[in-house]
Amino acid sequence: MKRLKLPQWLVLLMPAIIILSAVVLIPLLLSLYSSFTSYRLTRPDSLFNWVGLFNYEKAVTDVKFWAAFGRTVLLLAVALNLEMLFGLGLALMISKVTRGQRALRTMMMFPMMFSPILVGFQFKFIFNDNVGLVNNALQSLGITDTAIPWLVDGNLAMFSIIFAEVWTSTSVFGILILAGLYAIPRDPLEAAKVDGCTPFQSFRFVTLPFLMPFIYIAMAIRSLDVARAYDIVQIMTNGGPARRTELLWTLIGRTGYVDARMGYANAMGYVSIFLAIFFTIYFFKKLTAARKELGMGV
Amino acid sequence: MKTLLSGASCAVLVAALASTAVLASPDAAQAGEFDGVTIEAKLIGGQQYEALYARIPEWEEATGASVEVISKKNHFELDKEFKSDIAAGTTDWCVGSNHSSFASQYPTLYTDLTGLIGQDVVDEFVQANIKAATFDGRLVMLPRAQFDVSALYYQKDLYDDPEKAKAFEAEYGYALAVPETWEQVKDQSVFFADPPNFYGTQYAGKDEAIVGRFYEMVVAEGGDLFNDDFSPAFNSDAGKRALQWFVDLYQADAVPAGTTNYLWDDLGNGFASGTIALNLDWPGWAGFFNDPSSSKVAGNVGVAPAPKGSAGVRTGWSGFHGFSVTEDCEHKEAAASLVDFLTNEDSQKLESSAGPLPSRTAVWDHVSEQAKGDAYRSEVLAAFKETAATAFAVPPTPYWIEATNLIYPELQAAILGDKTVDEALSDASEAVDDLMQEEGVY
Repeated sequence: MKRLKLPQWLVLLMPAIIILSAVVLIPLLLSLYSSFTSYRLTRPDSLFNWVGLFNYEKAVTDVKFWAAFGRTVLLLAVALNLEMLFGLGLALMISKVTRGQRALRTMMMFPMMFSPILVGFQFKFIFNDNVGLVNNALQSLGITDTAIPWLVDGNLAMFSIIFAEVWTSTSVFGILILAGLYAIPRDPLEAAKVDGCTPFQSFRFVTLPFLMPFIYIAMAIRSLDVARAYDIVQIMTNGGPARRTELLWTLIGRTGYVDARMGYANAMGYVSIFLAIFFTIYFFKKLTAARKELGMGV
Repeated sequence: MKTLLSGASCAVLVAALASTAVLASPDAAQAGEFDGVTIEAKLIGGQQYEALYARIPEWEEATGASVEVISKKNHFELDKEFKSDIAAGTTDWCVGSNHSSFASQYPTLYTDLTGLIGQDVVDEFVQANIKAATFDGRLVMLPRAQFDVSALYYQKDLYDDPEKAKAFEAEYGYALAVPETWEQVKDQSVFFADPPNFYGTQYAGKDEAIVGRFYEMVVAEGGDLFNDDFSPAFNSDAGKRALQWFVDLYQADAVPAGTTNYLWDDLGNGFASGTIALNLDWPGWAGFFNDPSSSKVAGNVGVAPAPKGSAGVRTGWSGFHGFSVTEDCEHKEAAASLVDFLTNEDSQKLESSAGPLPSRTAVWDHVSEQAKGDAYRSEVLAAFKETAATAFAVPPTPYWIEATNLIYPELQAAILGDKTVDEALSDASEAVDDLMQEEGVY
């Protein structure tokens, strides 16, 4: 009997294929399948109750789902841009420091070291209307004599969440942009100086184009992070009140694990993944364009 | 020294109770009955629940079995874990903490205790609790001494000030006294409020908590949350009056601006901070509120039965903790014996000595007797006993939690002014109706 002999490349790849299938591919296929069923966690037999596109139809015709989708895009757009601006500012300042730069770099990364759950609790307390630090400070300084409902008012609640997100993740941009600053060759900057460029012109036309690939990499990483924002929001507002801060993953998390409607939650999840895919493709296209402009190839 | 003494006396009391439990309990398992059996348990965690778990070694010694606690979390986290267990088919652990508000969601998880626990034992519990622990004729849990219903805590000195009394009477046309109706609570809350330093009252503002509060208010107003077929019934005049009460207080700044984000801990700590006049809350807080080390209102706390709505009915949304045995447990008799032990008379005496309310008739009498001579404890017990007499559990539908997730954002929308009361109740009712129809309830 002839033994089946697999090609050597396949044998070598087999451990990776098996592991990836077990932890990524099979769960993905199972969740995709379950999104076409009425699967409820509390009724395992419902996993075989095929409902076709019902869950997808329900998700795409649900105003609450699209409102959460819109809010997630808003959070993404605002938080990412603010983090980029602050991160750029921080990196530029740190790059100019001649003494204690290492200590500053380490300090800049402190917020990243906290678990998002702890950051959520920290800002929930800071923005509490009754005993929170912000209101107490404002009242003690005589700036206001009312209890500002930071986590209740529609705009202020989103502001508070964006504040927490920006606080915790600006350093991602800071570190990557700082790496970009270190990588910039000195010649173009010196040439610009010789040609009589102002510092702003040097920054705008020499430094920034060199930094753009780093900025787009940071944007791509953070867009995936923010698009699946859950922990900080869950702790601070749980998507409320009155759905004012409901994001995709607080809605999906509640539907899947509290309401136990995993089939419907998975359908919403798959629709939401398009958001992540869109931003990833967008930022990678931008990254490629920025690299081309610098003559770095594709 | 005083703390040490009271700690020591507690220890003696616990030891005494424990020894009587083993020696005197008629339900005590026979020695060595379950030799070598290991019971895996998933229990609710938290300081207030630990004293009971300290008794488990006594049961282990008496029966020869051993207990392995494989999970200890709050009920919301346990709920998620149970649902994941059901989905994954990993339900062969044996004993789980359960709660009357969650129990109906797990129709396949827990076994019927009827054949495992003697009828004489079941008869010793408060029968309203047994009824609320029975779904489709199956007794799915035995209640522990953690019966919850809310009574009205208030700051006593607010009613001792003649100037306040005079001003109140001039404004509202009746004498200032501890409120007996929710309308009076509203008047007094608006009267006492002095934001941002002092508020008339507060309420749980999100999740199941606000729906529970709304539910009891609808009942007190003469309505109901669901019809008999579980179609929504709260979009009614009673429902509108109930929701209007929450809206009016919020819009009058009589409650903290963040109340729609508050849950039980925020409320308890808020009242203890001395910034809230009237607070509908659970019995477990009674000791905390009157303890000078944890509360600024200690010594100034009064407790009254829950006020009545316009239908003359008291609010009385109640729930209780219990223990259940899983259907897939290999040693159901041993597990049932453990559940029996954890809810027996001595266990309930131990738990209720720290404040929580019992669910056994005899232990209610015992606790009342013990409280004699302690004016505050007697007042607490009298108020909760009165409220418990007309208390009611959550509607027995497996879709209770899911329905609350549809209702609470609409209640919040009305409270915050995003929707009118009519719009909010209409939207909530439509969403719950869709859910029930989708699930084939009717």
